[in-house]
Amino acid sequence: MDRRFRTAALTGAALCALLATTLVAQRAATPPANSIAGATAQIVTASQAVLAALDAAGRAKVQFPFDSPQKQKWSNLPSPMYQRDGVRLTDLTAAQRESIMKLLQVALSAEGYHKVRDIMKGDEVLRTSSSGAGRGGRGPSFGELEYYLAFVGTPSTTAPWTLMFGGHHLAINLTMAGSQATMAPSLPAAQPASFTVEGRTVRPLGDENDKAFALINALDAAKHKQAILGSRVADLVLGAGQDGRTIQPEGIRASALSAAEQAQLWDIAREWIGIANDAFAEPRMTEIKSHLNDTFFAWSGPTTNGSAAYFRIQGPTLVIEYAPQNTVDHIHTIYRDPTNDYGAKIARK
Amino acid sequence: MRASKTLTLALAAVATIAASVGVSAHRMDEYLQAARFGIDPDRVELQLDLTPGVAIIDSIVREIDRNNDGTISSIERDAYVGAVLVDLSLSLDGRALRLDPAASTFPDVDALRRGEGVIQLRATAPLSHVANGVHSLAFKNMHRRNLSVYLANALVPSDDRVAINAQHRDEAQSDLTIEYTLRGNRAPAKPLWPLGLFAAMAALSVVLIRPLLN
Repeated sequence: MDRRFRTAALTGAALCALLATTLVAQRAATPPANSIAGATAQIVTASQAVLAALDAAGRAKVQFPFDSPQKQKWSNLPSPMYQRDGVRLTDLTAAQRESIMKLLQVALSAEGYHKVRDIMKGDEVLRTSSSGAGRGGRGPSFGELEYYLAFVGTPSTTAPWTLMFGGHHLAINLTMAGSQATMAPSLPAAQPASFTVEGRTVRPLGDENDKAFALINALDAAKHKQAILGSRVADLVLGAGQDGRTIQPEGIRASALSAAEQAQLWDIAREWIGIANDAFAEPRMTEIKSHLNDTFFAWSGPTTNGSAAYFRIQGPTLVIEYAPQNTVDHIHTIYRDPTNDYGAKIARK
Repeated sequence: MRASKTLTLALAAVATIAASVGVSAHRMDEYLQAARFGIDPDRVELQLDLTPGVAIIDSIVREIDRNNDGTISSIERDAYVGAVLVDLSLSLDGRALRLDPAASTFPDVDALRRGEGVIQLRATAPLSHVANGVHSLAFKNMHRRNLSVYLANALVPSDDRVAINAQHRDEAQSDLTIEYTLRGNRAPAKPLWPLGLFAAMAALSVVLIRPLLN
């Protein structure tokens, strides 16, 4: 009896030791979820769940080689005007769509996910509302299910790959390469820019707008003059199709702003950078702030909030443009890193 | 008969797109002309992207597809590039420059009619005997002024002898003046002597420390 008890106790102790060793080893091997590598690992797991939920035809449609031209196939235009590739939400089952939404929740921050959902809801408003129909919005080309997912490269915790999600007024291009990631280029846009859902007013790009007007109106006359461009900017300068171009920066240098104004400027930039998972956004914020002397803020148009005005934040590794399309109710924006669009820098390493 | 049928189909396509998209879509009734300038010490390159809205595409396609056969031949493409370039003017310090076509890409007519197509032109102007110092490059775009909205920008120069000082535009951005400075010499390359000194010190350290370790 004693002998059997001893054997059982020793076996149990050995198993406990093995379990503890395994757990410690796993903890050492698994990067923390709030690190870039940890977030990438979670996104890979969620992407694999999407692939598992799709059938063979869906898997064939969603997957592209990393070095294919697919990564540059995005636009602000609705799909009948611009043909996207990948799997389209409307063609999927509820369970498959659910897996994609879960993937977006992991890949994006909470605020970023809400922003993306609000942009999609805006397109649903275009499709269904009487105001949308009055503006020609009724039709199969609009709606919250007219969005596409594609994996450019195989979801991996080490090799580079890009998660593409987009449709009308939305392009999220999140490239990950092990412990590094970039969301450039991406295009969040909105039309209508303000609408009501279940009694709640939704403004997908409202914070971007309001924070920028607050900054331009915080500047004194001399700074104001430096920031204002003397011409109308009718559209994005570096929107879809403008990869690889770097325009001469204009406006006021961030280093000429007060500390409070600089904080406002970075807070505006965070509206775009913070769409991505927090683990990706924080190091990116640190990086753009390191280019204070070479970052510029430029403004075109009226400075009374509620008006249609263009602004641009540009630094050596950053371009953000906000461009109303003749009206405050139709906004295009772009976010780029001229040194690292599509992970050009991190995918090489 | 064939031309009539093509025209009917084209009008139907435009009507369908316009009905489904309406003003909710993008720049329906305007011709977006986005110009960018790359300045080198010995030449200027113009990149011009032309994006016609679907509501005005008929008039633009008529200008390009002159025989109305639904395709854009190389002759028609060259003719349109020439017609656009005639409407542009470029000068350096008040002296007129000639823009020579360098390359162009045209989407097919169907893509243009869908509102997806962008016509891309590149043209260059040689600069000879430009002295070091400050210069003024002036551009004026008068192409289809009744329909167009314009963007005009200098690109960051790829040659470090060129530095953009300022850009001045009219309200519509159909006129752009770029003030830039041309320097005679390239910026000196980063000196390599610190690297060499470090390598020499490392080698010396190895030589001095090795006997102590034995």
